[in-house]
Amino acid sequence: MQKYSIFSLIKNSFSNHQNWEPAWRDPELKKEYDVVIVGGGGHGLATAYYLAKEHKITNVAILEKGWIGGGNVGRNTTILRSNYMWDANGLFYEYGMKLWENLSQELNYNVMYSPRGVINLAHSDAQLNVFARRGNSMRLNGIDAIMLSKEELITKIPFADFSNSARFPIFGALMQPKGGTARHDAVAWGYARGADNLGVDIIQHCEVTGFDVQNGKIIGVQTSRGNIKTKKIGLCVAGNTSLLASKLNMKLPIESHVLQACVSEPVKPFLDHVVTFGAGHFYCSQSDKGEMVMGGDLDGYNSYAQRGNLPTLQHVLSEGVAMFPNLSRLKMLRTWGGIMDMSMDGSPIIDKTHIEGVYLNCGWCYGGFKATPVSGWTFAYTIAQDHPHELNSKFRLNRFHTGHLIDEKGVGTKTWIG
Amino acid sequence: MSQTYRLNNVGYINRDKKISFKFNGKKYFGYKGDTLASALLANGVHLVGRSFKYHRPRGFVGAGVDEPNAKVQLYFKGADTEPNANATEVELVEGLIARSQNCWPSVSFDFGAINNLLNKFFPAGFYYKTFMWPKSFWYKIYEPIIRKAAGLGIAPLKPDPDKYEHKYEYCDVLVAGSGPSGLSSALAAAKNGARVILAEDKVRFGGSLLTDEVTIGNKKGKEWADEIISQLKSMPNVIVKNRSQVFGYYDHNMMVMCERTKDHIENPSEFTPRQKLWHIRAKEVIISTGSIERPLTFGNNDRPGIILASAAREYMKVYGVLVGKKPIIFTNNDSAYDTAIDFKKNGIDPIIVDTRNDSQSSVANEAKSLNISIKFFCAVVNTKGYLRLNSATIGKFNSDKSDYEKLENISCDCICVSGNWTPTVHLSSQSGNKLKFNETIDAFIPNQSKQNENTIGSAKGSFTLKESLEDGFKKGFELSNKITGKNEKSITPTSNEKNYGQHDKFWCMPLPKKKHYKRFVDFQNDVAVSDIELAVREGFKSIEHVKRYTTLGMATDQGKTSNLSGLQLVSDIEKKIIPEVGHTTFRPPYTPITIGAIVGREVGKHYRPTRKSPIHEWHEKNNAVFVDAGLWLRPRYYKKGNENLLEASTREARNVRKNVGVCDVTSLGKIDIKGADSAEFLNRVYTNAWMKLPIGKGRYGVMLREDGIVFDDGTTTRISENHFHMTTTTAQAANVLSHLEYYLQVVWPELDVNVVSATEQWAGAALAGPNSRKLLGKLFKNIDVSNEGIQFMGYKESDLFGVPARIFRISFSGELAYEINVESDYGIFMWKKIIELGKEMNIEPYGTEALSTLRIEMGHVAGSEIDGRVISSDLSLEGMLSKKKDFIGKRSLFREAFVNPNREKIVGVIPIDKKTMIPEGSHLVNDGNATLPNPKLGHVSASCWSVEYNNPFSLAILKDGKNKIGEKLYAVSPLKNKNIPVEIISSHYVDPKGERVRS
Amino acid sequence: MLEIKCPYCGKRSQNEFSYGGDAKIKRPELGKEISDKEWDNFVYYRDNPKGKHSELWHHISGCRQWFKVSRDTASHEIFKTAKLDEDL
Repeated sequence: MQKYSIFSLIKNSFSNHQNWEPAWRDPELKKEYDVVIVGGGGHGLATAYYLAKEHKITNVAILEKGWIGGGNVGRNTTILRSNYMWDANGLFYEYGMKLWENLSQELNYNVMYSPRGVINLAHSDAQLNVFARRGNSMRLNGIDAIMLSKEELITKIPFADFSNSARFPIFGALMQPKGGTARHDAVAWGYARGADNLGVDIIQHCEVTGFDVQNGKIIGVQTSRGNIKTKKIGLCVAGNTSLLASKLNMKLPIESHVLQACVSEPVKPFLDHVVTFGAGHFYCSQSDKGEMVMGGDLDGYNSYAQRGNLPTLQHVLSEGVAMFPNLSRLKMLRTWGGIMDMSMDGSPIIDKTHIEGVYLNCGWCYGGFKATPVSGWTFAYTIAQDHPHELNSKFRLNRFHTGHLIDEKGVGTKTWIG
Repeated sequence: MSQTYRLNNVGYINRDKKISFKFNGKKYFGYKGDTLASALLANGVHLVGRSFKYHRPRGFVGAGVDEPNAKVQLYFKGADTEPNANATEVELVEGLIARSQNCWPSVSFDFGAINNLLNKFFPAGFYYKTFMWPKSFWYKIYEPIIRKAAGLGIAPLKPDPDKYEHKYEYCDVLVAGSGPSGLSSALAAAKNGARVILAEDKVRFGGSLLTDEVTIGNKKGKEWADEIISQLKSMPNVIVKNRSQVFGYYDHNMMVMCERTKDHIENPSEFTPRQKLWHIRAKEVIISTGSIERPLTFGNNDRPGIILASAAREYMKVYGVLVGKKPIIFTNNDSAYDTAIDFKKNGIDPIIVDTRNDSQSSVANEAKSLNISIKFFCAVVNTKGYLRLNSATIGKFNSDKSDYEKLENISCDCICVSGNWTPTVHLSSQSGNKLKFNETIDAFIPNQSKQNENTIGSAKGSFTLKESLEDGFKKGFELSNKITGKNEKSITPTSNEKNYGQHDKFWCMPLPKKKHYKRFVDFQNDVAVSDIELAVREGFKSIEHVKRYTTLGMATDQGKTSNLSGLQLVSDIEKKIIPEVGHTTFRPPYTPITIGAIVGREVGKHYRPTRKSPIHEWHEKNNAVFVDAGLWLRPRYYKKGNENLLEASTREARNVRKNVGVCDVTSLGKIDIKGADSAEFLNRVYTNAWMKLPIGKGRYGVMLREDGIVFDDGTTTRISENHFHMTTTTAQAANVLSHLEYYLQVVWPELDVNVVSATEQWAGAALAGPNSRKLLGKLFKNIDVSNEGIQFMGYKESDLFGVPARIFRISFSGELAYEINVESDYGIFMWKKIIELGKEMNIEPYGTEALSTLRIEMGHVAGSEIDGRVISSDLSLEGMLSKKKDFIGKRSLFREAFVNPNREKIVGVIPIDKKTMIPEGSHLVNDGNATLPNPKLGHVSASCWSVEYNNPFSLAILKDGKNKIGEKLYAVSPLKNKNIPVEIISSHYVDPKGERVRS
Repeated sequence: MLEIKCPYCGKRSQNEFSYGGDAKIKRPELGKEISDKEWDNFVYYRDNPKGKHSELWHHISGCRQWFKVSRDTASHEIFKTAKLDEDL
């Protein structure tokens, strides 16, 4: 692999950048692989990378029906955090935060991990107490969390609405200082380059059309570019998991919903943190380019369209302006939608299935991007060892039977209320 | 400074109204009808800003929404400002103040331009390859520098002082764009009786008719346009709007349009909204949005003075402004010849540089006959002039156009470029239309409509006036006739226009040997040909990869002038045809839209509705401090003197325990349930039994979700055989109603039951305390209020000094208590009577905080325990789970996790020292100082200062809680640095047998 | 913004409605013995097709009637709406 550094950049400058090699190969599809990963998004690419790196399984293909990184890893609001209340989530995502911290160096690709702090605003004492329960849980799990008073918030985000004309005045906040953002595309590309370098075949424009199952075991995959033999497949197609699972005659506790996000025009830096609004569902950060990156609620009905409708966006932006009244004068530049696997308890599924050799990685709801490293890491373990790692041992499919659900929000199965 | 580039007697500006404005601190003059861009150009100012990445000096490229460079910071009266305003769209008003962006200390001398000197080291994606060591430096050093260098304008930090309105409209035909095709379709549809909305983004209607030398009927194009507009405006079935950008095509033909209503007015009223957002549900949509000229790509093609040929022409003909006096027209097609001809007619001698061998179209021949110098088979190779273009290198192509035979320098002050036209297909694409590539025009055009979308004119690639008019009249008639059926057809007028030949598919000029000039594709984001080549070289071959890796088309102009060039480049490198490369997706908004306009009036206090009880004003007058409970405002406590929250709520709670208190409980959800099967329905909805509830009695009930989790609780009272009154928590009132409706309509339609919300019909007051019965007797003299007269959970109807009232003997505080309901309008009457008659019993109003204290020490659960994650047994409500009948959610209770004997249980917690309040949200652990992760046994859900025992008391949900009574644990709150030794006790701290409520 | 035809009130914009999910889910009869699998299927498992989807909507800011909608989850096109006792 051609190493990236300031020196290689300068060196290549003098040859007018004519000598940069492709970041990944464009290999021919082989007839057989040890593991086939379906889905060249963040999770699929990370899974393949860790299969090769941690488990030395390198005869791996990633099959992507479009172009890598084109799904949710390229359509999110880039937030990283582990500010969860339940242990199953908190410990899992916190391991992820540790992976994030070293990811640029590990991949030799700058993913721009920016621990700028995630601030959850609270608008009543009761809400502060709910946040305290979560924050204390984080602290007892060894995760960083602090409470911020209104006065401390005024120094950090003075342009927020602290006035008496606010409909829901700000009382304080919970902050995870190490939470932050990363450059989403770079995560996909960094893992792709890393996996490719370890021998993984990244096959773009190759759609999986069916599976070959014999005696309860997977033996192959049918694709738009021919059939492949394999003994193990991992599904990493959040948003479309139900569709692929139906080809395996599996029904899942998942609905697909569209989640919109938008950015404003770029402006000079004024917001140095990720901030969420507590009297609604809105989150905002400022990208390195200067755009305000904003998101909120689901559109609220099953959808596979990567586009949303205006009412949700209006609702979300009204929350934005309630939080930061100065946003009103900025202009919305671009909107997009991503398809979320909404699981019935709001937490992911990383598990084996009743078909031998078929592994599931799905149900990420809104939160898949931050999980990319740890999801890949634990899924690779689960595929390689044929059983879940301690970290994903609670994210099993049978919890919808046993009742061991992991419901952070307490809204139950009406996923669209999220 | 005089307007030395202003032509006399040309254009549609109002020369009687001179306007002064400031740009970068300097005062200039323009005329009413100018844009900031046209006024600056009239003054000879091209240098308007700096580019995003390399901070290169930049001038105007376009004359409208497609402008990539001329983004300015506007300053309005007062302190507010707007970043990234498009100077080509900003209308000139007296006193306008604008500044260049992204430059320091000034636009002509910008330190950031060091990036340009070093641009060799900053190719596309350079930041992915470096800034990785040492690890902490990205966040601490590199990122802050990059952030500071990036961004464009400066965001205002104060709240927006302006108002924005929303409007909803319905129409038969919406026409977006008022060029020849838009005007003719609007006219044809309107004359056929359709309700029409015609929207034009610009100030002036007419589109290309404003600049083109054409005739329609026997009129000049512009005159015809003016006449059609006045005709349309006079028709009652037509709405004609300028300054109105249709920016979004959403599902089911919902079109959204933003109208600019204020910034162009010199002295607006304080009530004038700044912008209006129109939601238009159109039966048919006609997209006549025209097309946008593409630039050509050559060395240093981004200098101030290099402008689109069509923009140069618009400045000349609409604003009477010359963009230069020594122009070069550089083109690969015939349309730019019009610009040359217009220069010539205004006394300026242009040079045309044409990449083609020759052209024999009528427009080219006209140029030839005017003796305009034309250099065929030539290209502009490179340009010079840092802050303003001053010369160009012209090259004669070799035979295969891979290099040049001869180079010469020509002095010039502007280059007007044309690389042919791109149909504005954004709205069509947004509607779901999968575009197709048209080889003839080298651009995408709409394909199959997915909604009622109809694209006509140059937006679908038909560039002649004749076609636009014919298509416009035809579509306008056909679409309207589907709706009105009136069959009133308008006649398409005859027209005259020049003829234009085929363009050259050659648009990217080769570099002479050993030259590495930057050839820009995306001006704002500084994406050059070499960047796109690099991206493809590195494996970023999909157009989406190229876009993301190079940031092509991701600037504020969204690539209106650059996307297609980028696409062509990728297809050339990859040797693929363009349809295979595909295009990036068009999403709303077409142009950036002010967030305030999207939000409308739901700002400040109106962000969400505020619900107030009819007694609200009384609370205000009596020093209530309010708390938000969902959308309701409820008194949290009534402040006396300098009391704080704890002091006031303790006083109020004590008074309840000792005398009597009154609490406004209007916000509790109330649902009226009627019908023969009402009892059966409740029996299915609640976990306990309801069939045998006597008339005039109430019962506490808990309802579950189907997954077994507790959903809500409350009391329901049987008013008569088939009539029940249900109460819910304030928070879940709306959800419970929907839940009931779902089961009645969808699951059990056979049940004869009707439900309706009655929350707002009744005002409620809770009387609580040992004196409450005495007070009740005074309020209701005609009824027996004794313990036998109204038993615990009993119900009576009576009249309160002539006002019909409902009396429920229910208690949340654990004291002897009653709840009185009267119709809302009498709420304040009831409240005042209670206060008046209760005076002798020392009545005091109490707020939610005291209510909370009272319920906590009684061990009653509320929202902080019913958090959407607990089951009945966790709350010690398992006794209410009927074994005899089925109910919603029952089947889920038998699952492994729910029958675990060590599950959580609600308990009471007191600090060992009996002094330290345990913060809510603390967790219970065996050892407060254990190593992390420290296993959590439970959490403290609610805390109070017990007024009964005068020490702190908390409720907690604790694992295996029922076997932990008497144990000593630690309540820890690391957030607050607390580690409190506690004892676990029963959750029923006060009156565990419930004697008081029954007394 | 979707335009939904309430079978009782006529065409209205999406803002007046709230979504109710998969219309094909049938709640098991009360008191009926059913397998764990049937129950789990009812509570958690969903048809999640790309394309035609039968779903429930509630005219919550209108007549408050629940009704059925046949809608394409990829294009959002609505094919038909019907009262609960009518066929879609």
